[in-house]
Amino acid sequence: METFLGKIKDRISVNFDLEKSSIDIEKKRVDVQIRKEQIPSILRYIKENMNFRHLMHASVVDWLEEGKFEVIFMLWAPKEKIRVFVRTKLDRENPVMENLDMIWPQLNTYEREFKEMYGIEFTGLVAPEEFILEDWDGPPPMRRDFDTEAYAKDVFSERIGREDAQDVRETIAKRSGEVIPDFAKKHSR
Amino acid sequence: MKREKATTLYFGPQHPGITGNMMIRLKVEGDTIVKATTEVGYLHRAFEKLVEKRNWIQSFTLMCRFCVPEPDPVENTYARAVEMIAGIEIPERAKWIRVLILELARMSSLLLWHAGQGHSLGLYTMGQWSVGDRNYLLDLFEELTGARIYHMYVWPGGVRKDFPEGFEEKVLKTMDYFEKKLPDYDNLLFENSIFQKRTQGVGIVSPEQIIEHGVVGQPLRAAGIKSDIRIDDPYEVYDKLKFDVPTQTDSDIWARALVRREELRQSIRIIRQVIDKMPKGEVYTKLPNPQKWTIPAGDAFARTESVRGEVGMYLVSDGGNKPRRAHFRGAAYVHAVSLLEDVLVGANIADVSAIMNSLGTCPPEIER
Repeated sequence: METFLGKIKDRISVNFDLEKSSIDIEKKRVDVQIRKEQIPSILRYIKENMNFRHLMHASVVDWLEEGKFEVIFMLWAPKEKIRVFVRTKLDRENPVMENLDMIWPQLNTYEREFKEMYGIEFTGLVAPEEFILEDWDGPPPMRRDFDTEAYAKDVFSERIGREDAQDVRETIAKRSGEVIPDFAKKHSR
Repeated sequence: MKREKATTLYFGPQHPGITGNMMIRLKVEGDTIVKATTEVGYLHRAFEKLVEKRNWIQSFTLMCRFCVPEPDPVENTYARAVEMIAGIEIPERAKWIRVLILELARMSSLLLWHAGQGHSLGLYTMGQWSVGDRNYLLDLFEELTGARIYHMYVWPGGVRKDFPEGFEEKVLKTMDYFEKKLPDYDNLLFENSIFQKRTQGVGIVSPEQIIEHGVVGQPLRAAGIKSDIRIDDPYEVYDKLKFDVPTQTDSDIWARALVRREELRQSIRIIRQVIDKMPKGEVYTKLPNPQKWTIPAGDAFARTESVRGEVGMYLVSDGGNKPRRAHFRGAAYVHAVSLLEDVLVGANIADVSAIMNSLGTCPPEIER
């Protein structure tokens, strides 16, 4: 297995200028890291010439401390039964990369999600504006510096009776004049 | 003035095709669909964000909630991803119990599919029977894990606890019951001429669509490709079990239904083998205090064969006590968005929910 994975890695590194590469025998996996400009050509090459036909997954990791987004494409060769992970790092300040849905149309869905959740722009992406977040105008929420609680407090107002730890039932009862029976009082809150 | 021929029809968010809420915006000319756009956003619960704020064990309690009809494959995927990064070896018995749980979950989800596929074509009796029978499986889950739907049982390091007394016997008796019952299902659903006529030649997935959209699971097997993660990339003890991977060639709703019909029988076969071969011993590896448990930096991608196809999780640790990133990919993420939009073009409005059900649409899995 080690030599086989090594051969896969060598074949990729002969054709592309890799930033990093490694193999993991236990996970049956080859890992390569490359500049973002070369992502379309490397994915096309690995898919069409090396038989890694199945895109298992694509993901983004926010490395806030480094100021980078890492985009990972996870490919699987059904015949050889091994996986190749292609990684690239994007500048967090200006995360832009090329649209890739002509290689696998399913990437269109992933790109829509990454755009919405991380604010990554894919040049040339044709897709409806909204995916999961409806009428969202805040910062991309999956970024690690997005503070969910602060955003919620800032944007949404408290419902009447919930400004502090007020008892909702008692507040409503006071407003409507309802008399809460004793047995129900202890269960409220 | 030019007249617009197509009409826009909003299909959903509540309809009989699926579990959960999802809308499809259809452009129709007469009864025929010319364009379909999936619209999600009704079920987003931000689990992947929540996971980043919780420790490794607290995160595990969220995993089963990713997909309601079949929670166990997600639990298993997360547990194995954690074990891969942390380098934990789990006891042999735990692996066998995990397979048992996964196959019981598979059966339970297939029974729900019988109900959904029947409902989508107006055959309501099927759902009453199969959901009723599914309760016997849920009883088993309740006895073993304490819960009927969200089990929170398969966790990093093994499973939560061993079988209660007499559990194996109960499982076997339940399997006997199902084996006797399945011919009735054939009578009611598969030999029903309405079901056959409504499903044959409908919702065909072409070979090109299979590669382009990363199709997995039954839609792949119904197109004649013998692919199953349990065999191709075996996990737990699937390599020690004998079972067949059924295939069909027509790639329509009917072919997918026949694949599922056979898979239910194969699950029973696997469960019997597991009960027969299961060794005695410990069921979990002792882990450190969950609050202080840190996992070395690294990443892993684990995947499990669910009823809808392969489900996978990309998990990243930065060396801390919480996941840096846990990104889940369910089969429905591609089946119900890009693939469904393609397959629906040319279909009849009346077939939409049947096609959705047949492709394993599960909205909570799409938006998590």
